[in-house]
Amino acid sequence: MRVLFFAQLQNVTGCAATELVVVAPLDRDALWTMLLEKFPGLQAHRGNVRLARNWEYADAGTRFISSDEVALIPPVSGG
Amino acid sequence: MEIEIRLTEAPIAEKMTPPPGLGTRGAWLEFRGMVRAGENGGEISALEYEAYPEMAEREIRRLLESIAARHPCLAARVIHRTGIIPVGETAIYVGVAGRHRAEAIALLGEFMDRLKQDVPIWKRRALPATKLKRDSPGHSAPDHQQSPEQFPTTPVPTAAGHGRTLHSLDEAIAEIHSRCQPLAAMRVSLEESFGRVLRETVCAPHDLPPLDCSTRDGYAILADDPAETFLVVDTIHAADWKPRQIQPGEAVRVATGAALPRDGLRVVMQENVERKGDQIKIARSDPATNIRLHGEDVKAGQPLVQSGGRLDAGKLALLATAGCAQPLASPRLRIIHFTTGDEIVPPGQTPKPGQIRDSNSILIRSLLQVRSCDVFQTHLSEDFERAKLEIGGWKPEIERADLVLVSGGASVGDTDFTRLLLERLGFATVFSQVNVRPGRPLIFGVNGSRVAFGLPGNPLAHFVCFHFAVTTALARLTGGTAPAFLRGNLAAKLAGHPCPRETLWPTRLEFSEGKINLHPLAWTSSGDVTCFAAANALLRLPANQGSFAAGAEVDFLPTAVMMGA
Repeated sequence: MRVLFFAQLQNVTGCAATELVVVAPLDRDALWTMLLEKFPGLQAHRGNVRLARNWEYADAGTRFISSDEVALIPPVSGG
Repeated sequence: MEIEIRLTEAPIAEKMTPPPGLGTRGAWLEFRGMVRAGENGGEISALEYEAYPEMAEREIRRLLESIAARHPCLAARVIHRTGIIPVGETAIYVGVAGRHRAEAIALLGEFMDRLKQDVPIWKRRALPATKLKRDSPGHSAPDHQQSPEQFPTTPVPTAAGHGRTLHSLDEAIAEIHSRCQPLAAMRVSLEESFGRVLRETVCAPHDLPPLDCSTRDGYAILADDPAETFLVVDTIHAADWKPRQIQPGEAVRVATGAALPRDGLRVVMQENVERKGDQIKIARSDPATNIRLHGEDVKAGQPLVQSGGRLDAGKLALLATAGCAQPLASPRLRIIHFTTGDEIVPPGQTPKPGQIRDSNSILIRSLLQVRSCDVFQTHLSEDFERAKLEIGGWKPEIERADLVLVSGGASVGDTDFTRLLLERLGFATVFSQVNVRPGRPLIFGVNGSRVAFGLPGNPLAHFVCFHFAVTTALARLTGGTAPAFLRGNLAAKLAGHPCPRETLWPTRLEFSEGKINLHPLAWTSSGDVTCFAAANALLRLPANQGSFAAGAEVDFLPTAVMMGA
């Protein structure tokens, strides 16, 4: 699974993208657990980061699978 | 509803037209969000935006469609710029077409609110306005006024396709061209005009020559007077202006250059007459009139010197002839040049092992002086903290400079150093990579109307980058014409290694047998310096092509200054 980081999250992770090995579908909490194992610094941002799956915001029912492109979306500031 | 969405790094056009046919069917409402000069309480020069483009486009479309369900509209166009956007330029443009204004206004208002909540676009960082005012030796100001959390101060790796792009040679030139604007022109005396760019078209204020005048020492008579002997009734010297009538049988003695006393005359050369007292007799007939007619060179009102040309000796002489004593011309550009690199020593010093003599300073100074620029040069330490203190001492020169050049040191990481230094001076990086050999790590930055280049350290890369990049900026800032690539023929076979980048190859240009012949100079690495002394052009070789036959037609860029250009 490819996971993208944007804006200030790149400073936390030190990279713009990472690959996670996912064998079974994950819900949001399971995905966060994996992410925090790899990047503990993300914990401080969890409260205001939204997850996106294949270019759409995820919701409570979303399941993430290996072929997905996942993005961590911190508060946006366009316009 | 027709929807057009674009995310682009390019500036958003000043004027937009509504989608065809829609503007005439009711309301066409436009909104532009511009980068403001203050952000979080500090003065800035630019904002850098980052986007997750695939998702941002989908999200914008989804928002427009969901809002249009309540406020039906005919069409919407959304353009969001990303990358570095200078203060005063458009970050977002939204156009909405509706049958009635109320729907269009409602859709636009709600869309902008939702965009700021949901569309994955971020203000990545604010680039501060020139912060030197707050700096002084011994005092180190914070790098950026924003908290690092909100606007990170150091470049971070960005996802593929979302970050900085590698510019092609043409793209880099076009980018420099679009970012540099001509500086205000000024009236200067002819004596101070040499080498400047004329910024007005100067027309002839009167006919040149203003009057009919004689091209010979001789005698002016009526053009159709059949007489053979004449009475000399007057004498006109070169500086005289004596309008008068001439009767048949009369002649007026005239000097070369003298204004003739009336129309309808011809001048008989003195060699062709015999004179006795007041009488002359034509000894040999000559059909020539020996007159320069008024307006023969140029008529009143005709352009004499076009705007945009560099003022050379001939053009200045013509301006003087036309009485243009204070032409409107470009200012002399003020340029500050910093060399960096702890390994370089002055030319008069013997380098220790590992050191090299500084050739970049005199190279840049000479290239700029021949282009009528005023140059200030100094060397900076490679230690960034020390360099920051050193630039504090050059504050007045930096603030007055139209263009800043930094020659990178040869050490690893010099581009980061140069980039940080330029950002410290308030320059937002526009690009830092050009797909050309030599000279790939070329940095171009802007700070308002001022521009900066970080040149790769080695001398040949300097020479190359100067001629395609810096000269483009100089031409734009002065309002002149940038040197263009021309076509010529290779005088000899060129066998090089294919390179995935375009190559600018140092070359000797010679004219022979009515043709331009290009002699490629021996060159193997960008550290080579021996080819300098002979090079007066750069060949432009396409990528991935190693060998070129003798006689092959190729593009080249002359590097010698052509005054008329």
